Amino acid sequence: MSSTVFTIARDEWRYWRRSSLAQTVLIIALLLAAASVWVTHAAISHTTEQRQHMQSESITAFEEQPDRHPHRMVHYGHYLFRAPPPLGSLDPGIDSFTGNAIFLEGHRQNGATFADQKQSTGLTWVGRLTPAYVMQVLTPLLLIVLGFGVMTREREAGTLDFLKVQGVSPLVLLAGKGVAMAGAGLLVLTPLIIGALLTVLKGAQVVPVLTFILSYLIYIVVWCALVLLISTLARSNSVSFSGLVAVWILLCLVVPRIASNTASVMVASPGKLETDFAVLKKLRQMGDGHNANDPAFKAFKDNLLAQYNVDSVEDLPINFRGVVAQKSEADLTEVLNEFAEQQMAQQQSQAVIARMFGWLSPMIAIQNASMKLAGTDLENYQRFMREAEAVRFEFVQSLNKLHAEGMSLEQDANKYKSAEARKAATVDAENWQMLEEFQFTPLPAGQRFSNSLTAVLQLLFTAGLVLAFTYIAGRRV
Amino acid sequence: MPDAVISASNLCVDVQTKKILKNVSFNANRGEVLALLGGNGAGKSTTIKTFLGLMKPTSGSVWLDGVDVQKAPDIVRQKVAYLPESVMLYGHLTAIENIQYFLSLSGKDKSETEIVAALQRVALQESAWRAALSGYSKGMRQKTAIALALLREAPILFLDEPTSGLDPVAIDEFNRLVSQLAAQGATILMVTHDVYGACHVANRIGLLRDGEIVGMFDAPEQGNIDSEAVHKAFTQGVVA
Repeated sequence: MSSTVFTIARDEWRYWRRSSLAQTVLIIALLLAAASVWVTHAAISHTTEQRQHMQSESITAFEEQPDRHPHRMVHYGHYLFRAPPPLGSLDPGIDSFTGNAIFLEGHRQNGATFADQKQSTGLTWVGRLTPAYVMQVLTPLLLIVLGFGVMTREREAGTLDFLKVQGVSPLVLLAGKGVAMAGAGLLVLTPLIIGALLTVLKGAQVVPVLTFILSYLIYIVVWCALVLLISTLARSNSVSFSGLVAVWILLCLVVPRIASNTASVMVASPGKLETDFAVLKKLRQMGDGHNANDPAFKAFKDNLLAQYNVDSVEDLPINFRGVVAQKSEADLTEVLNEFAEQQMAQQQSQAVIARMFGWLSPMIAIQNASMKLAGTDLENYQRFMREAEAVRFEFVQSLNKLHAEGMSLEQDANKYKSAEARKAATVDAENWQMLEEFQFTPLPAGQRFSNSLTAVLQLLFTAGLVLAFTYIAGRRV
Repeated sequence: MPDAVISASNLCVDVQTKKILKNVSFNANRGEVLALLGGNGAGKSTTIKTFLGLMKPTSGSVWLDGVDVQKAPDIVRQKVAYLPESVMLYGHLTAIENIQYFLSLSGKDKSETEIVAALQRVALQESAWRAALSGYSKGMRQKTAIALALLREAPILFLDEPTSGLDPVAIDEFNRLVSQLAAQGATILMVTHDVYGACHVANRIGLLRDGEIVGMFDAPEQGNIDSEAVHKAFTQGVVA
C-alpha cells in the first residue's frame, strides 16, 4: 500500500512539474520563503551590530561627560539596547512593533522605541515579509493555489472512478495526495528550517529551535489536510478554490481580528493619554523631588533629622537635597511601577483571551508558539521592560546617591550664585564610570518551551481534527 | 453463488427517484462476449458501473467470478479491466507514462518494451507514444486505454462504447482483439449502441430498453448474430 501511496505522490509532483501554474506557485513560494529568511536575517544581524555599537557609543558618551552636578546626569540619561534573540531573526514577533531600545532617565519610564515598523514608510511594507509572516499567512495561500484541485481535478476528469477500478481505494489516493502536498509544504518550509537550525550556531538552545520547527511542520500539515479535505468535499475545482480561499480569509484574517477585538472588549485597557494623566495626577500628590522644601517631604525630613539627631537639614552629614531626590525617585518609581504592572497585567489578560482563539484558528496558534519559542512574545517584552526599569532605577539612584554624598547642601544650594560655586557643586567625571554593558536575559529555554505548549497543543488538536475529517470524507468518496 | 463469470440477478438501481435499472438479470460464462445494446439512457453505463462497484444496487446483486461485488469490490477490481466511454487518462502524461502509472497502481509492472508492443497492437502511431495525451484525438485516447486494458491481462473486461471515436480500420482491429481475448478465456461485457459491431463480436446480445432487458439474442454455432433481426428489434421494439 505504501508503494501505491508514493506512486500517487510522485505522479502529483510530476503533474506540478508540468503545470506552469503549479511551477510558478512553487517558485514564488520558495523564493519568498528563502528571501524572507535571508533578508530578515541580514537586517536583524545588521541591527544587532548597530545596536551593540550604539550601546557602546551611548556608554562612552555618558562616561565622557565632564565634572557635573549629578542631577544633570540624571536628565542626561542613557540608552539601553536589547539584542534580538537568535530565533528573532525568523520571527521578530512583537519586537518589530514595540522596539528594542529604551531611553533611561530620571523621573520617567519611557517605552521601548526604534521599532522596525515605526521606522518604515508606506513603501517599505515588504519589511513585514518576515519568515514567520510568510509561513503563517502567505504559505497557506500558496498551498491552496497549488492544491485546490488535488481531488476535484480527478473528479472532474473522471479519473477518480478509473483509479477506483484500478483497485486504488479513495483513502490510499488521499494519502498519496497528502504526501505530495506535505512534500510541497516541506519544500517551502526548508529555508525556515535551515535558518532555524543555523540559529543554534548563534547561541539558540536546541529544544526551542526543534519545537519551533516542529510547530511549523504541524501548521503546514494542518493546511495540507485542510486543502485535501475541502478538495475532497467539493464537487468542482471552482467550488474547492473559493471554499479554500474563504477558509483562509476566515482563519488568517477574520478570526485573529475577532480575537484581538474580543480581548480588547473583555479586558478594557485605558489608552496612553488616559494612563499618563492618571500617573501625573498621582505624582502631583507626592511632591516635587526637585524642591526639598516641598511640604510633602516634611514627615520624611522630620524622620531624617530624628535619625541623625540634628535640628536642621544644614546639620545633616549628607546633602538633604540629594536624599530628597533619592526618596522622591523611589516613591515615583513605586507609582510608575504600579501603573506599569497594571498595564502589563491588562496586556497579559488580553493576550490570554486572544490566545484562546488558537483553538479556532491554527494561524493564531502558530503565531503564539512561534513568538514564545523565539523569545519575541509579550512575556519577553515585559521582561525586557522590567529589566530596563531595574537598570534605570539603579542608575538614577546611583546618581542621586552621588548627589547626596558628593557635595554639601550649602554647595548645592548656592550653585547658581557664581561660576566657582557652580564648579563646587559638581562631582568628578570619574564617577560616570558606573554603567555596565546591558545583557538582556531572555526566558530560559525550558520556560519558553513550556509556555509554548498550549499553542503547540492547539496546533496538534487542529491537525488531528482536520485529519479525522479528511479520513471521514475520504471514506465517503 | 452463480457459476457464471459475470452475473446480474434481479438488479435494480435507482438514482434519487428515477429507476435506472429494473430487475435486470443476465449471465456471461468464461470466454463469452456479452453485448448489452440500447439507446441513450437505457441503463447501459449504469450496469457496468454497478459491476465495477461505482454504483450500488437498490436491490438484487451483481457477481463477478463468484464474488458479490458489493461485499468485496476491491477483490473483484483486481480481476477487471475497464474501458470507459470517455477515456479517463491523464492529459499531462504520455501514453507510455499513463499506462505505466495505472499498471503500477494495479500492481502490474510491465517493461517499456511490453507497453510499446501493446501500443503497436492497438495501432497507435509511434509519434504519439511519448507525447502528452492532452494533444490526442478521442480515438488515440481510446487506443491508449485499450492498450492499458490489454496489458492488465484481466480475466474480465468491461467495455463501455469501446469503438466510439475509432476510425473504421481501428474498429476492425478492435473487434479482432476482442475476439482474440475471448478465445483466450477472457469474459467480456460490452455495452454499445453499435448494432453491427455488437453482432460482429458478441456471442450474445441483450437488448436493454428503459432499464429492462427486453430481448436476448444468441449467436448460432457458426457465424454471427443476425444483425437485421437485432436492428429491427432495436429500432422498432420488435423482438422475435
